[in-house]
Amino acid sequence: MERADRGARRGDASGAAIEVNDLTVAYREQPVLWDVDVAFRKGVLTAIVGPNGAGKTTLIQSILGLVRPAAGRIRILGQPVREGRRSVAYVPQRGSVDWDFPTSVLDVVTMGTYGRLGWIRRPGRRERAAAMEALGKVGMEAFEGRQIRQLSGGQQQRVFLARALVQDAPIYLMDEPFQGVDARTEAAIVEVLGDLRARGDTVIAVHHALQSVPEYFDDVVLLNVRRIASGPVQEVFTEANLRTCYGGRVPFLQAVTERPAPATGRPATGRPEDAPPP
Amino acid sequence: MTAMDLEVQIMAVVVAVACALPGCFLVLRRMALLSDAISHSILLGIVLAFFWVRDLASPVLILAAAVTGVVTVALVEALHATRRVKEDAAIALVFPALFSVAVLLIARHAGDVHLDVDAVLLGELAFAPLRRFSWNGVDLGPKTLWVMGAILLLNAAFLGLFYKELKLSTFDRGLSAALGFSPAVVQYAFMSTVSVTAVGAFDAVGSILVVALMIAPPAAARLLTHRLPLLLLLSAVFAAASALLGFQVALWLDASIAGCMAVATGVLFTGALLLAPDRGVLARLVVRRRQRVEFAGLMLSIHLLNHEGTPRAPEENRLGHLPEHLRWSDDFALRVARHAEREGLLTRSGDGRLDLTPLGREAARHLMVR
Amino acid sequence: MSLPDLLHGLLFDFTLRTVALGAAVLGALAGALGCFAVLRQQSLLGDAISHAALPGIVLAFVLTGSRATPVLVLGAGIAGWIGTLAVMAIVRGGRLPEDTALGIVLSVFFGFGMVLLTWVQGRPDARQAGLDTFLFGQAATVLPGDVALVAGVGSVAGLITILFWKEFKLLTFDPDYATALGLPLRRVDFLLTGLLVVAIVLGLQMVGVVLMSALVVAPAAAARQWTDSLRTMVLLAAVIGAGAGVTGAAISATARGVPTGPTIVLVASAVVAFSLLAAPRRGLVAEMLRSARVRRRIRADAMLMDLYALSRQHVEPGHPHPVATLQAMSGRERGVSASLRSLEARGWAVHTEGDRAEHAAGRLPGASSDRHWAITEAGRIRARQLLETGVGPRPGPGEPAEPGSPEVPA
Repeated sequence: MERADRGARRGDASGAAIEVNDLTVAYREQPVLWDVDVAFRKGVLTAIVGPNGAGKTTLIQSILGLVRPAAGRIRILGQPVREGRRSVAYVPQRGSVDWDFPTSVLDVVTMGTYGRLGWIRRPGRRERAAAMEALGKVGMEAFEGRQIRQLSGGQQQRVFLARALVQDAPIYLMDEPFQGVDARTEAAIVEVLGDLRARGDTVIAVHHALQSVPEYFDDVVLLNVRRIASGPVQEVFTEANLRTCYGGRVPFLQAVTERPAPATGRPATGRPEDAPPP
Repeated sequence: MTAMDLEVQIMAVVVAVACALPGCFLVLRRMALLSDAISHSILLGIVLAFFWVRDLASPVLILAAAVTGVVTVALVEALHATRRVKEDAAIALVFPALFSVAVLLIARHAGDVHLDVDAVLLGELAFAPLRRFSWNGVDLGPKTLWVMGAILLLNAAFLGLFYKELKLSTFDRGLSAALGFSPAVVQYAFMSTVSVTAVGAFDAVGSILVVALMIAPPAAARLLTHRLPLLLLLSAVFAAASALLGFQVALWLDASIAGCMAVATGVLFTGALLLAPDRGVLARLVVRRRQRVEFAGLMLSIHLLNHEGTPRAPEENRLGHLPEHLRWSDDFALRVARHAEREGLLTRSGDGRLDLTPLGREAARHLMVR
Repeated sequence: MSLPDLLHGLLFDFTLRTVALGAAVLGALAGALGCFAVLRQQSLLGDAISHAALPGIVLAFVLTGSRATPVLVLGAGIAGWIGTLAVMAIVRGGRLPEDTALGIVLSVFFGFGMVLLTWVQGRPDARQAGLDTFLFGQAATVLPGDVALVAGVGSVAGLITILFWKEFKLLTFDPDYATALGLPLRRVDFLLTGLLVVAIVLGLQMVGVVLMSALVVAPAAAARQWTDSLRTMVLLAAVIGAGAGVTGAAISATARGVPTGPTIVLVASAVVAFSLLAAPRRGLVAEMLRSARVRRRIRADAMLMDLYALSRQHVEPGHPHPVATLQAMSGRERGVSASLRSLEARGWAVHTEGDRAEHAAGRLPGASSDRHWAITEAGRIRARQLLETGVGPRPGPGEPAEPGSPEVPA
């Protein structure tokens, strides 16, 4: 399978997969994001955390061009959103679609190839094979023919993840991938995240469970309408920053920040571009 | 103006106001299209009751029609509850079926039923004055006026008595149930009044235009106020105005009175949509234009605050940087900076550097901790 | 057979054939495109479009003086499209809920149409006669040329649907994801809604403005019950729509004074009712049978746990217990024997004949049945599994959830 976007990834000298400058988004004259500056590093797993209504989903949707910013600039691999979003695979929230839709698991995953196919061309054997491969990566190949309503919440989440994997893009945007999933799904997602990092792909995920941030992610962005802090987890994920972000109402705050740093000796920076997978 | 015209006009106003009052809650409860469903399916109740009592003037017809209206709502809810179809599809399945049965019955027994298809769709407001209500030989006015007057009073009484319950169950079903006002009971009581109103109005304006009278005036009022009592009052005023306006136009064109009333509600609604002081399209355009600069000024203050004291501040906090990063045109950036300076939020230096004043800093902080 | 009779028959048959063909094409088109409308939860948009078309029909006649079907259909299409835009404008511009916008558009446009219609009828122009058949549809007014028009435009619409199949599917299932993939959402939406308008206005002559929306929704709702594949659903809805169209048109054309629209709608509604009840998996009857089976299994599981509890109290695990004891434990009078027999069928329980001696000694409460029941070794293993997992292992990975219960978190 060709990866047309790989070149673009190397081409950008700034080292950021996605650069957000001075982004302000307002719904009905009510600001949701105020002047946010964030650079998401390449080849790194970044969590976006913040309280409800902090604008986490809005940030993701702005990057994808789903909402129109009032001001600001977004660059994806150095390109504006319209061109750059071809390099982005999107995993929306599970609740964003009607699961009673008459379609099968394989069909949903094949939708990930539609962007490559362009107008009118239909998915063929190659696209379905790619979809099966992606289903295998999330441990769902046995469910290919099943109607999507007949899946558990975690299985539905894995189908969405597989659909994004089929896009074979260098950047992944995930909106709460761990929300309400079972342990098995959580493990499957974590494994996929590891694979993506090993390949040098970039993952940006809205995340709710503060406890698991140090374990799963390299970088973190603390967001509450404006950017509170962003950077490597060890530096930024501090009690002081969390308190600022959540206004001092952080449950488990103690437990979160006292967790030891991940034992894997994960490098704080992304892997070098051409590093072979371990 | 003849006495008959006057009577028709009075009836038109009474019908319109009687429809608009429950219509307010239909709009607020997002059940506008249930009025469509009810106003169609009551025809079946009327036809079936007619076959039973063989008298078009019998009050049994009104009762049967009202029951059919409530049954329609129950059917829609039951169909939705099977989770096999979504609610919108449930509405779109139930009322056409019931209405079709009624139309076919009328068509098959055209000789027996003194109802024709035109009457179903348009009502007979123009002929309403011919049906008199007399008692002991004394003429007391048109029957429709009495019926609709009674329904208007009934609606006003219902809304007056159960105002609190309706309001509560409209805005917070959970709280309503917790306080012991079953939303289901309120719902069915309310749907009964909607059905009775639709039956009464059906006679005068037909099944589809009832929907215009129930929905459009409250929707127009909704654009003008957020307060429920005012909403009810304005809806009634709009409804009455539509009735009078519609009647005059119908007289002038020699066209259907009911149709003209419906168009009049549409005209008033469009007027409100464009001209309403806060929510109107024009007002919002003007406000947005003015606010854009104000909003941008505050945004600029926040931008300056964010970068104040950082190493990149000299580069970020200058006029020339804004067009590139905030995606503003040069002109707009200058306008915003001037506006913000006038407001005392920042100072401009000759080389294009922008610095927050203490006031600007305060404003930006205040916005961010919102 | 006399010559006049034969002639009459031929003529009649020709009309019937024309009408049936037109109704079939139209029903198929409305049914197929209706699937997208129903799945996008826009079932009532069709109602607004068809009602909004009425003023377009009358205005087209007033402006051109022609009653030719293409002219009227064009007028209807433009008005229907304006109605759709008006709905969007009210929702966006007025920030009012969509149902309110739909209600206003359908009733006000329809009112305007009735004003025009009554105004035209009041003029001394004989050509207007018959415009009001557009209210409930009249199959008898359909001419061969009209059928050709419906078939021609319908084929183009069908072809577009096939060409843009994957775009329409993605737009309907997950519009946000479609945008993220770079699909020009507005243009695809425009195209799909445009096709819906076309399907609706083509049907007005036969079904009428008042009931046309039902021909859009009913075949789709019926087809949905039989399949879980979008392609099958669309094809099936087309077949159901065509079938309802032909049946309704034939009934209406043979009986005098029966408007076509209501007849077609009733046929389609009957298919919906049948599908809701009888569809093999989503059908309500199938679900009732399924839930009865589940209830039986839960009762049998509970019975097994009772037997297990008794066996643990007893020194000898295989000791049999009378039915009455189990009745008392489960709190059920009836169905206990059925549950026990189903346990026995799976090898988890065995029965012996009752111990009459104990009975006679009066140490046991009066048993209604002489049988005594005991748990088997396999039954004990199963009971322990149930205790550990709470539910016990299910057949197959993730047994299908209840049909029609999408897991949509708030």
